[in-house]
Amino acid sequence: MRRPFLRYVTLRTLIFLATIFTAFTLTFLILKAMPTDIVKNMVARSMAVAGAALGNPEQIQKMYDMYYEMFGLKGSLMEQYIGFVRRFLTMDFGISILARPATVREIISYKLPWTVALLTFSTIIAWVVGNILGAVASLIEGKKLSKFLQALAITLYPIPYYVFALILTYVFAYLIPLFSLAPVRMPENIFSLEFLLTILRVMTLPALSIIIIGALGWWFLSSRALGLNILSEDFYWYGEIRGLPGAILLKKYLLKNIMMPQITALSLNLGTIFGGALLTEMLFNFPGLGLLLYQAVNAGDYPLVLGIVSLSIIGVAVASYILDLVYPLIDPRVRYR
Amino acid sequence: MKVRTFPVLGSFITVFKANFKFRVGFVLFLAIMFFGSFSLFSPEYHQYLYYLPTNHPPSLESIDMILGTTSNGRSVFWSLTNAIINSMLIATVTSMVACHIGLILGLVAGVKGGITDRFIMFFTDAFIAIPGLPLTIMLVMILKPIINLVLIGLIISIISWPWSSRMIRSITLSLREKDFIVLAQLSGMSTLKVIMFEIFPHLLGFHLTNIINTMILTIGAEVGLAFLGLSILEMDTLGTMIYWIQRYGAMLHNLWWWVVPPVFILILLFLSLYLISAGLQEYLNPRLRGGR
Repeated sequence: MRRPFLRYVTLRTLIFLATIFTAFTLTFLILKAMPTDIVKNMVARSMAVAGAALGNPEQIQKMYDMYYEMFGLKGSLMEQYIGFVRRFLTMDFGISILARPATVREIISYKLPWTVALLTFSTIIAWVVGNILGAVASLIEGKKLSKFLQALAITLYPIPYYVFALILTYVFAYLIPLFSLAPVRMPENIFSLEFLLTILRVMTLPALSIIIIGALGWWFLSSRALGLNILSEDFYWYGEIRGLPGAILLKKYLLKNIMMPQITALSLNLGTIFGGALLTEMLFNFPGLGLLLYQAVNAGDYPLVLGIVSLSIIGVAVASYILDLVYPLIDPRVRYR
Repeated sequence: MKVRTFPVLGSFITVFKANFKFRVGFVLFLAIMFFGSFSLFSPEYHQYLYYLPTNHPPSLESIDMILGTTSNGRSVFWSLTNAIINSMLIATVTSMVACHIGLILGLVAGVKGGITDRFIMFFTDAFIAIPGLPLTIMLVMILKPIINLVLIGLIISIISWPWSSRMIRSITLSLREKDFIVLAQLSGMSTLKVIMFEIFPHLLGFHLTNIINTMILTIGAEVGLAFLGLSILEMDTLGTMIYWIQRYGAMLHNLWWWVVPPVFILILLFLSLYLISAGLQEYLNPRLRGGR
């Protein structure tokens, strides 16, 4: 009884590590294939500033060498790769090229709370609201409210969220200037009312766009479909015939069975949080990781890109790893294989 | 039983008759494609900038003006019709490539099991773990010198095949345990035959809806890329239209005739594809039809 479990965990752990490693390597290779050479741009810029003072080819070469070494871009492809793997293992990616002299770790830890707060909060709210509405809609299938919710979901779901976000910004920042899209300065005191208001001002619109589209779109539709499936199962019918009280039918028969696949989807969704939500962040001028990653990719800032992407890779891999280990505990029908 | 010469056409007609959602979606889709097919008649100058008066509201004086003109002096009508076709081209490439790679890998992993399964799944998971949008951005930047519509479709395929492969594998796994598959294997059918004649027919429904859902995702992904200025900006797609609208601040200048059509068509196209896939799903899975 114990040994298959141990074997499963070992195998799963090995695959987990291999997945992270492969994803990291792929990202590194793709990044290396990009045509942008940030160091060349930097040297060109400082030459333009310093003018003839730096005109000596030896000095320029020195500058190149210094920068390449600083950002881990020295030597052959293999050497660079090993260097970055070392950085990856210590989770210390050194100095960011874009934001030097700040280190990658500093920038990420500055931006991370914003993205994580926004996405965790809005994903979970969307999930809860969507699932409850979906379960209710499947229970009262055929009634007016259910039809209305379904029509709403079918119209909202296909709208790409950036179009929706554009409409939101147009209405609430331009027509009715409730929220502003201007960059904010955070008040010093974390425990003041002012701080809270600023956070609300920055987060409400992006959160709203994610919640409405997520809750009334995908989560609602999938949980309604699951609900209808369960309602047509024999065990539910039998429970009804046995005269079980509605509350038990709802809680133990319907919700519990809807929750299983939905929890999987939620945790996988939460795993992707560390990649940020690029388009949402861009549209709402939100100081998050997605936008930072985009800027880093655009500039060819290797340490920063690899730093953020590693974080995201680990997030997704950990989520599915934990899920695979925990799932058989929650759902007795699934066995460790 | 009726003998049907065209089984595909026959089942299409059955779905069309049986399902309301499918019917609405399909008719809507055909209408959009019909509108898009006007691009065949687009005059040569439709790509020229400042050929027509700028910011001209819709008027009936000529077909160029029928939906007004943009801030860079192009006809919204010709842009839009070309955009529909180009976006659908990208969507078709991706859905064909990604869904079939996913189908084959998922089937092989599910049927073979063991080491093959582990290896394919580990590879799939590695692709899933890399954040999708940044990955596409990097690939588009690498391939910028030779980019074209088909290539964009292929790039988007790279982020969408792993999901198909995962889903197909999990369905195959549950099918593999069924008695009729075991029976087929025991009676000496080759693996290829089991896959082709015993498993694939059960996957066909999912595969079709998956193709259509991938189209939705692809059109969305292209709009996302274009939003960042990373599509083919000198060509008309629904994404690049929205990019130029943003770029010229058309929303703030109240150029509604330029803003509304692409957004409206985008939503309609998504809606029609969604209805087709939902209709197919309901038809194939009677439990979803609601009621008991």
